[in-house]
Amino acid sequence: MLLSRFWYVLLALVLGGAIFVLFLATSMYNRAGARNMGEGLSADSQVVAWYLKNDARSRSAQLIKFALDPDVAKYLAKASANEQKVPSAARDKVRAALQRVSEKIAKDENFDAVFAVDQNGRVVAFLGYDQASGMEHFQLGGYPVVADALHGYIRDDTLVLDRLYRVVARPVEYDLGQMPAGAIVGARIIDDRFARELSARTGAAVAFYAKGQRVASGAPEGFDKSQLDQIVGDLENLKTDKDYQQKGRSNVRTISGLLGVVYARLPGEAWQLGAGYAVGRLPYHVAGPLGFFNKADDVDKKNANLLLVALIALFAAALGILFTLFEHTRPLHVFRTEAIRLAKGETDQMQPSKFRGVYRKIASDLNDGVDQVAAKGGVPRRAADLKQVMGDIPDQPQMSAFSFPGDPASSGPESSPQPSAPSRPMPSAPFQPSAPSHPKASTPGVPDATQASPGAPPRRPPPPNRPGARGDSEADEWRRVYEEFVATKQKCGENVEGFTYEKFEQTLKKNRDALVQRHGAKRVKFSVYVKEGKAALKASPIKA
Amino acid sequence: MQTHAESATVVRKPQREAPPGTARRRSAWCVRLVGLSTLAVGMALPFTADAAKVKGAVKNFRLLVNPVWEEAKSPKQHGYSFREPVPTVRAEFRRLFPDIPKELCIAALAPEKQKPEKPILIRVGGGRTTPVTIVLPPGTTLQFKNTDPFTHRLYGVKISTFQPNDTVKGGTRSWTVPGKGTFEIRDELAPSLRMWIVGEPNVAAIAYPSKKGQFLLTFDQPGDYTLQAFFSGKKVGAPKPVTVGQKDMDISRTPIRVAASKKKSKADEKKGK
Repeated sequence: MLLSRFWYVLLALVLGGAIFVLFLATSMYNRAGARNMGEGLSADSQVVAWYLKNDARSRSAQLIKFALDPDVAKYLAKASANEQKVPSAARDKVRAALQRVSEKIAKDENFDAVFAVDQNGRVVAFLGYDQASGMEHFQLGGYPVVADALHGYIRDDTLVLDRLYRVVARPVEYDLGQMPAGAIVGARIIDDRFARELSARTGAAVAFYAKGQRVASGAPEGFDKSQLDQIVGDLENLKTDKDYQQKGRSNVRTISGLLGVVYARLPGEAWQLGAGYAVGRLPYHVAGPLGFFNKADDVDKKNANLLLVALIALFAAALGILFTLFEHTRPLHVFRTEAIRLAKGETDQMQPSKFRGVYRKIASDLNDGVDQVAAKGGVPRRAADLKQVMGDIPDQPQMSAFSFPGDPASSGPESSPQPSAPSRPMPSAPFQPSAPSHPKASTPGVPDATQASPGAPPRRPPPPNRPGARGDSEADEWRRVYEEFVATKQKCGENVEGFTYEKFEQTLKKNRDALVQRHGAKRVKFSVYVKEGKAALKASPIKA
Repeated sequence: MQTHAESATVVRKPQREAPPGTARRRSAWCVRLVGLSTLAVGMALPFTADAAKVKGAVKNFRLLVNPVWEEAKSPKQHGYSFREPVPTVRAEFRRLFPDIPKELCIAALAPEKQKPEKPILIRVGGGRTTPVTIVLPPGTTLQFKNTDPFTHRLYGVKISTFQPNDTVKGGTRSWTVPGKGTFEIRDELAPSLRMWIVGEPNVAAIAYPSKKGQFLLTFDQPGDYTLQAFFSGKKVGAPKPVTVGQKDMDISRTPIRVAASKKKSKADEKKGK
């Protein structure tokens, strides 16, 4: 059972180690996911900033088409010349020109609104800003972006008006020796369409906010953009974010448990008004060790070395099964076979030497049990083969009448050649009740022969009231054995001439003493059997 | 009544407290629009036929710098992601000089305190107010009208009587100049909007020059006045005394220098060094 137990412990250790590693892997995975999310968010935020700048630049180039239109320049100059009122003719001409130019610009490069502003800052004409329709005094000249354009600069801005606008402006020149005749201003509304377009081109999930509210959002496929609505609850906390206040970009902030967000201010007037954009990402995260199964996709599963895993599992299983077969199933089978034999009467006791471990102890106990039953008047039993009792031990106590191992007398002329061990013990003489108390059996301090025998479980001594064990003296028993032996020899056709009891007794004494000394038995019981056609004597060390 | 077609000049004819020995008294401020229609609505008041007009001019106004725009061009303000000059525009025009018809106020200061009369309309729209700087006697009420299609939230800087409050599209909001001094008005929803109101008890008339720097002041009463230009709530240029009689006069030959010329400035710097 040792191997099996070792295997179980080993498997338990491996299993515990595997679980520990899984927890470690979960933590490391989540940490790496959070780090990747942070890096990704920083990249997203930068990409969005670059996109906004690049988009403004590319659209400012579109403004050249308006600025170069002859009607726009000419009538802006006329409007600028009249400080009291914008001539209606100029309004009509410029508006028509704006419309004409706007239609020639590709849809994805066009503006949501275009304004033509004269030197006085008045809006002479516009497209796409219906809120200002009919407003006679509508002007834009106070905004720095328009003022810069009127003074010869191209620049962008982000204005928070009724909505959030990305604005670019450039001057319109009519007479190169004079101030610009006016400016042309293009605006894009930052709405969901703008955010979707930005998200599609940058791959970032982005939400724009102004005045403490989310005004637009867009996200790539697989990202629920409604999660970006949660930034509204976090905007108030940005007031305490030093990086956001000083640098215009926050560190990675986690809201609602998992969603990572980086906030950035929009350039332009929107910067001072607290408007900006937030990019969001969900980290690669597993809730626990079993979460890997849900996260793994086909590629991950394909990369896993399933063959190796299967082989290791099979090997471990086979080894475990082998151990259990070797240490559990087979001993049980042997025990069961022996038990069947015992039940059939093929043997009158178990042979503990055939068993190992606990089965040996069970067999010994069973034998003791049988002895108890026999002592209470059960059936007689045969003497155990000493070899079977003792197992394969170097100093095999099995002997014939005149051939004991290590016995110098075995080389004497009256000793017969040592018979080989029989496959099965011959039936012995019927059990004769012995004296209730054997002198040696009651000797205290003398070890039991079976206890000294390696591998043999101890057997309890026969009960004190066992008949025959105490009634007969050793001399009587030996006399009876001698007669039986002589009779058997005669049956086998052996010569018994000169074979006296004294010699027989002397031999038995020697062997008894040797066995008692060697195995610590209280006494030795001898029985007669036939071996290879000859009478043989078997010695059975018996404890008290 | 438009007297100077080329001039975008507002002339306010004030009624000032009559000095001893002065026969004529006027009952109220007279604000008259001459050319600049943008200010006509709120500031047009009855005009007396016997008012004397003074035509003047300012110079070096392109050396002034609009503080809002100047501040916005600084990269530290994060006002833009790119800002590039157009090469074909001459460098002299790239200076962010102010739009003087709105930002440069010429005030005629009388020796005596003047009495406030009718409310003055201030238009709020396009990223600024019109006018940007105004000089008024304390007690004058200003009516801020939102001419933008969206809401403004004006407030006075460190002015307890002018707290932030929304003014919707087309809406108006009133405020009275509490006393002498300079008061700054801002908009919480439009950082570029800054207005300066100068409370000056002795102001008898104000005017805003045209793009070319010409202005026209109308006086109710003859007398001695001092012309002073105000820009961004501050006095600019040297005060110019003028004696107004019964007839119109033209002092544009000796324009008011609102900023030191470049050469002179450099010379002054050298002297200083």
